[in-house]
Formats: sequence, structure tokens, C-alpha cells
Amino acid sequence: MSTVSETVIRPEFEADDLGEASHADVARKLTLWEKLIDLDGVRKLSILLVLMFAWEFYTRISGVSELILPKFSDTAVALYDAVVNDQLLIMIKNSLTVLLTGYVIGLVIATLLTTAAIMTRFGNDVLSTLTAMLNPLPAIALLPLALLWFGLGSASVVFTLLHSVIWPVALNAHTGFMGVSDTQRMVGRNYGLRGVTYVAKLLIPAAFPSILMGLKVGWAYAWRTLIAAELVFGGAIADTSGTQSGGLGWFVFSSQMDMQIPYVFAGLFTVILVGVIVESLIFSTIEARTIRRWGMQSS
Amino acid sequence: MSMQKTLPEPVIRPEFINENIADAHTGDVARELSVIEKVWNINGVRKAVILLGLVTIWQAYTVLFDVEPLMFPTFLVSLQTLITDLFQGDLIWKVWFSVKVLIYGYGMGMAIAAVLVLWGTSSRLGGDFIAMATAMFNPLPSIAMLPLAMLWFGLGTASLVFVLVHAVLWAVALNTHTGFKNVSSTLRMIGENYGLKGVPFVCKVLVPAALPSIMTGMKVGWAFAWRTLIGAELVFGASSGSGGLGWYIFESSQNIETEGVFAGLFMVILIGITVENVIFRNIELRTVNRWGMQR
Repeated sequence: MSTVSETVIRPEFEADDLGEASHADVARKLTLWEKLIDLDGVRKLSILLVLMFAWEFYTRISGVSELILPKFSDTAVALYDAVVNDQLLIMIKNSLTVLLTGYVIGLVIATLLTTAAIMTRFGNDVLSTLTAMLNPLPAIALLPLALLWFGLGSASVVFTLLHSVIWPVALNAHTGFMGVSDTQRMVGRNYGLRGVTYVAKLLIPAAFPSILMGLKVGWAYAWRTLIAAELVFGGAIADTSGTQSGGLGWFVFSSQMDMQIPYVFAGLFTVILVGVIVESLIFSTIEARTIRRWGMQSS
Repeated sequence: MSMQKTLPEPVIRPEFINENIADAHTGDVARELSVIEKVWNINGVRKAVILLGLVTIWQAYTVLFDVEPLMFPTFLVSLQTLITDLFQGDLIWKVWFSVKVLIYGYGMGMAIAAVLVLWGTSSRLGGDFIAMATAMFNPLPSIAMLPLAMLWFGLGTASLVFVLVHAVLWAVALNTHTGFKNVSSTLRMIGENYGLKGVPFVCKVLVPAALPSIMTGMKVGWAFAWRTLIGAELVFGASSGSGGLGWYIFESSQNIETEGVFAGLFMVILIGITVENVIFRNIELRTVNRWGMQR
């Protein structure tokens, strides 16, 4: 048995020298500078500006060869020139047309595969075997084969794009559908939903975070594959596409071949711009109007 | 005027006894499954059968329809090419070359991402920088940097590593930074309560708490890096003699040895499956799954 220790009783005392309470700065007005710095956009914009100036100054002061790192101003001029005189816009259109063709056909095939996988166990097994095998295969590796089968032209690129879109989309959509809770399914049946309406009104909204994820991954792979395909086999593809101008990747590649480095940078800026527009305008808008509004994902 | 409605009279139905019910019949409720049904219910068996079926269709199609082997070689020939090239040719060295470059690039990308994210969590300027850089560079396919890399670092491993770093860095930094930001204040305060500060705080609280997100970043980074590497080697091969797996595919297709292309593709799939289903799966099982953060 342990003995209970004695309670320690400390002597009472009164502190009489607390000093004066000072609450001068608790709710101070922010200065204009502090308010400005608190704006997210201002901070980011200034970082961007600083980087641009650093680039410009570095190239001016160190005298780096134009061929290694062109001045920022030259790059901007090149971008303007390419848009106005060099059909850059048409090249962007060419790239996007091929991309959209591949993406849409890929989505259709992915939808068919996923439907089969949901309805039957055999379809489920086929889909999971195929995705496990083909998802880790970079689509660009199929390009040599595609060139052999479909010849030089946009058909080959569309084929590789299909491959890069189908698997991530089907995989994510399938996982999403399988994860819809039984409660929600039963609610849907209680309302008398069946067949297509059941899928459209219940399964798709419930699985939408996952589906959107698949769409985004599919877009990211497709975009990378397209640029790579145009870089690698750009010349071959561009010459037979009939437009004689090829795509965005071809613009970067041919500029590098001609040692017009400012144009290479201009091409990269354009690639970034298209990517940013698709990712933060299109997909973000869809996200904000669907899953975020429905409270399925916090910002 | 009274609002009262008259209630309907309750209908009283006559009682009756149903004499004509047959015996309860419970014959087949818990029947033993036959051997075939049992075997078919095993997941692995069904998938193996599907795989075999696909391979058989491939083989049958190419043999029966007498397809030109330059366009579409038979499965067996492709497999044979893979095995002979792997054990007698130099395919294994090409694979090793690719994997080595990939590990360099991946390791460096992770290291730089770690430094960036540490800066990002410790200061607001760093956070802004990461947010902006990832927003700008994440949508830029790293393969597009290859022409520049070749200009800056020449033809060789250095350019490949540069491009791989670019592929890994932004995906990992973005996901890790988001993961750190979303660690709940409760967890942070518990860590601070234990007196953790600086690096121990990051290692013992932030990293484990944000690990699901970090793992996502690492997986996305791997996927981009793997795709970039194969793409880059397809470009490069032509210029530097000692190429990797991508170069093997490109070389085979240039020599119209289509069975070599398929052998290369098999190898690419094999490595991809190994990394995704063995390495990452095991890390997940031992960390986030064991800690109950992910099912």
C-alpha cells in the first residue's frame, strides 16, 4: 500500500506591483503598405516582376550568349512576332484540334469500358487487368508503333492520345462508381430511378469528384504526350498534316533547330499559357460549379 | 358552420383461414459450390484467364490471318525477342541505364522539392513563391524543356536529369505544400505541446500527418518522370549512342524490327508495374494504411 503524500499548502500572498495594462497596439490600423502586401495577387505579381527583372538584368550584365539565354525583352518581342507574323495561333489551333479529337474519342471509349465494368463481373475483371497493365505504359512509347500502323500524320498522334486518356479516365471513373455508398444507391431506388436516369442522376453526381480527377489526369497526360509527340516526330507529322505549320511542339522544336532561342522561350510561354488556361480556368470552373457547390470538396 | 368532416366507416373484412399453402421448401439455400464455381471465384484465376485470352487472341490473329510480321509480330516471337535480348543482348544494360538516370533525376527532384517546401512552410514569401512557381511550371510538360536542356547541358545524361528534375519537382512540391497546409491545427498544437520545433516538428508531425498527400505527389511525380524519360530517350537516342530503354524502342522501330518494339514495350510495362504495385504499394501499406489514414 502506498502512502498518500502530504498536501503542500503554499502561503497566500497578494501581488501589488502588476504595472499598468497597455493595450495600445491591439487593434492598430494597418498602414497602406501592410494592406497592399496582404493582398495575395499583389505579392504574387511582385514575385513575377522580380523574376522577370532578375532575368533581364542577368542577361544584360553577364553578357550571356543570346543562344544560351536570350533577354526577357527579346523573348517577349519574339512571342509578339510569332503571334502576328508566324502563324503561332494557327499552330495552337492545330495542336488543340488534335488534342480534342483524341480526348473526346478517348472519353467515349472510357465510358463504354466503364459501363461494361459496372454491369458485369467479367467486364470488371477485364477493365482492371487492362488498366493495371496499360496505365503504367507511357503513351509516347506507342508512337513508333502508331507511326508504323497509321503512317505519318495526325491519326498516329490521335492513337497515342487515346491511349493516354482512356486508362486514367476509366480507372478513376470505375473507382468512383464502386465507391458510391449503398445508402445513396438505396435512396435512388426509393425514388424509383432506374437504368439511364439512375446513372445520370445518382451515380454520376455521387462519383463526380473521382470522375473529374480522372478527366484532369487524362488531360495532363494527353497534353504531355501531344507536346512530346510533336517534338519527337514533329517534322514528320507536320509535313503531312496539310496545313504545313504543324503544332506547338513543332514550333518549339523547329525554333531550336534554327537556333532562334527567343522563339523557343516564346513557344514555352505559350505552352504554359495553354496549360494554365485549361487547368485553372476550365477545370477550376467545373469544380467550383459542381463538387465544391455540392459540398463534396472543400476549397 | 361546422368544419367537421364525417369519418369514413371502417371496413371490416371477414376472417378466413388459407388451407392451401404448400410445404415450406428450403432445398437450395446453402448449396455447396462446384469446383469450377469455386475456382472461377478466385480473383487471380479470372484475371490470369483474361490475360491468357488476350494473348491467345493476339497469337491466333497474327498466325491465322498471316499478318505481316513487320506490322504486327506474333506474341511468341515478341516474347522470344524480349528473352534473348534480355539475357544475351544488351537490353538489360539499357534498362539499367534508364533506371539509373531516373533514380538520379527523381532523387534530385525530391531533394530540391524538400528544400523548397521547407522554405514555403517557414515564410510567407516562400509560400507565395511555391504557389506561383507550381501554378506556372506544373502545366508545362517537362519534355518541352528538352530542347533548352540540350542547349544548356549538351547531349548527355545531364540534360535528361534536368528534364526529370523538372518533371518531379513541381508535382511533389505542390502536393507536399498543400498537404502541409491542410494539417489540422489540433495536430500542430499537440506537436507544439510536446515541445517540438523546427526540423523535429516537420519530421515528426507535419510529414506523417501530410503523408497521404506527399505519397500522391510522389506517385504523380513518378508517373510524369517515367513518361518524360521514355519520351526524352526517343528524342535523344539519335544523338548519343548509349541510350536507354526508349532508345531501344526507337532503334528497333527505325530498323523495322517490330518484335523489338514490342519487347521494349513489355519491359516498360514490367518496370511500371513493379514500381507502382510493388514499391509504392508497399510503402503505402507500411505507412498510411497501417496508420489508418487511408483504406
